Amino acid sequence: MATVLVHIALLAYAAAAATYLGWLVKPRDRLVSLGRGLLLIGLVLHVASFVAAVSLSHGEGLARAGFGSDAWKGGQLFSILAAATVAGYLALDVRYRLPVAGAFVAPVTVAVMVPAHLVHSGTRAIAPELTHSTALAVHVFSAAAGTAALALAFALSLLYLASEKQLKSKHPGRLFARLPSLELIDRVGWHLSVWGFVFLSVAIATGSFVSREASGSAFPIAPKQGFAVLAWALLAGLIQARLVAGWRGRRLALLVVAGFLLLVGTYAGLLAAPQRSSAAAAALLYLGRS
Amino acid sequence: MPVFLCVGLSHKQVPIAVRERLAVPSDDLPGRLARLRTLSGVREAMLLSTCNRIEVFAVVDARTAADDVLRDLGALAAQHAQIRFEEEALLHLFRVTASLDSMVVGEAQIQGQVKEAHALAQEAGACGAALGRVISGALSAAKRVRTETAVARGAVSISSVAVQMAHKVLGDLAGRAALLIGAGEMAQLAARELRSSGASELLVANRSGTAAEALAAEVGGIAVGLGELPALLERADVVLCSTAAQQPVVTRELVARAIKARRYRPLFLIDLAVPRNVDPAANELENVYVYDLDDLERVAAQNRELREQEVERAEAIVREEVAAYARAKQERAAVPVLARLRAHAQALADAEVERTLAVLGPLSERQQKSLRSMAGAIVNKLLHGPTARLRGEQGGPLADAAAELFGIQDPPDPAPVPPEQGPRSTSSEPEASDRAPRAEHGGGADVLPLTGRK
Repeated sequence: MATVLVHIALLAYAAAAATYLGWLVKPRDRLVSLGRGLLLIGLVLHVASFVAAVSLSHGEGLARAGFGSDAWKGGQLFSILAAATVAGYLALDVRYRLPVAGAFVAPVTVAVMVPAHLVHSGTRAIAPELTHSTALAVHVFSAAAGTAALALAFALSLLYLASEKQLKSKHPGRLFARLPSLELIDRVGWHLSVWGFVFLSVAIATGSFVSREASGSAFPIAPKQGFAVLAWALLAGLIQARLVAGWRGRRLALLVVAGFLLLVGTYAGLLAAPQRSSAAAAALLYLGRS
Repeated sequence: MPVFLCVGLSHKQVPIAVRERLAVPSDDLPGRLARLRTLSGVREAMLLSTCNRIEVFAVVDARTAADDVLRDLGALAAQHAQIRFEEEALLHLFRVTASLDSMVVGEAQIQGQVKEAHALAQEAGACGAALGRVISGALSAAKRVRTETAVARGAVSISSVAVQMAHKVLGDLAGRAALLIGAGEMAQLAARELRSSGASELLVANRSGTAAEALAAEVGGIAVGLGELPALLERADVVLCSTAAQQPVVTRELVARAIKARRYRPLFLIDLAVPRNVDPAANELENVYVYDLDDLERVAAQNRELREQEVERAEAIVREEVAAYARAKQERAAVPVLARLRAHAQALADAEVERTLAVLGPLSERQQKSLRSMAGAIVNKLLHGPTARLRGEQGGPLADAAAELFGIQDPPDPAPVPPEQGPRSTSSEPEASDRAPRAEHGGGADVLPLTGRK
């Protein structure tokens, strides 16, 4: 049931991606509405698949982390991240109308979802102490939300850099008319960075708590923990620079790009780690994004 | 046979030196329209007089009326004017309204001008239902062109490009401050555009305090001293320069200090002066954007090119709309002919029944009813084939032929009535098909421009 729902959601995401890319070629307003609608349909089905996974299955599943699951798969991790990013984009679009970001989010979602659901990934165990841990559930949720916010901020930062380059060079490209103002991209990117920082902080705090519960160590030394802390420190510096020195625009965009790449390093570290005992596998979740 | 006609000239035929001599002042328009209506064979007329064209659109009895309309435009216009009939005239009106025949393709003013010309013609009693329907079709086509193509997107004048780029950097200009350095004409234009885009504060700085005050009063700004430039650069988000200075007034160092003091809030500098007033090196600074005349012209040219690329699609939409208009006319034309044909045949049958009854003497009610039924059945059987054909063809030449063959032409739309003589004819007037069908012969020609009769 859950698998069928995910596959239909994937089709909706793919159709949305095609629609948004079509909008880049031919800027028709109805294409934007259609793309938005398809993304929403995809998200609803995607979330329904998580609900089905939580309520129907009694075994593995990251969607059930903290709700009784004893194992998870790498594919499930990317699926949750994709859903959180699409949800974040749709919320953003309601407020700011940013179809050009949709043209980035929808294809990336498909690119993440296809391997996540069509390619087999190995099962990883969750420590028995954590199968019903509220802290783990909060950790998974906040890590997904923080990653989604920073992924969107990353997309907007790339957009900012491209747009700024065109304005500085005074040679607007073909897509220039579709780009929002620099001020809007900067403002929205900033808000997303702050939200990303907040969720990341919660994820690290709860991750540390869960780690201590499972293995006795609040900060196990591993590449992913290092990347997570570095990303957090960089975002803290970014916020400080904006509030105190007034940094904005290009500088901030570059910092967000760097912060997100560090976050990607965290996930790479999480997935590259070898299969271990159940307790050690659970520890992989703590400071890395789940 | 009524004919849709267009007589006139535009920027494509004559230069401005000729057009300015032919332009009709708005005060003279009612008089000119009244004169057009008095011309022999002119049923309805509208005069479109803008800085780029002087054109008469009319519904006339015959093509020969074009000569009278041409003479009415005057000898000078007659030398250059172009005459278009029927489909060609219709296509021209649709293209003009969709801004495809404009000097700057896609400009928005022309739609308003067409609406205004139509309203004036209605007020003057020169425009009726037929012309009203054509204008309505043209405006509908223009709306489609604007919403479905990018033919009207992107600024194409220097001042509007400057404001467009300011929007791209700063977003909404509402609540922003703009600084005007110098009093160049183009800077004034751009300042007005900035003001209409929502810029709340216009600061005007000039070497001469008197000139600054005069310009500030003209654009609704505040005069400030040029000596306060460093502080002004911290305050304003958009700076417009157009002084006659031979050296940069706004240097890189000045901007570098200002941007730091602004805590890196973006600053957009528009340099409309030659030689340039803003050091081009200032563009290298973070969050500072400097656009000079060449830069703005390059963007304008690019926008013009994008508009041109959309013209083909816009033309296709216009052709579609003209075809749809023609089809609608044909459909409208079929229904009244059928109704008139049936009424005509039924009236003949009724008359024959009455004559027969009179000859036969007293008959029972049942016998009379049978006779009437037989006459009705003959009419139905006779008209079944023609009715099916006319409905299938949606009017067109067949409807004309039927009307001609049976002598059942209907009267024209009521002629427009000047306001002082009675209620004005408008496009909301009932269609011919709404009117009661007539059994008798006669009636004048219709005023339909394309397919003839309704």
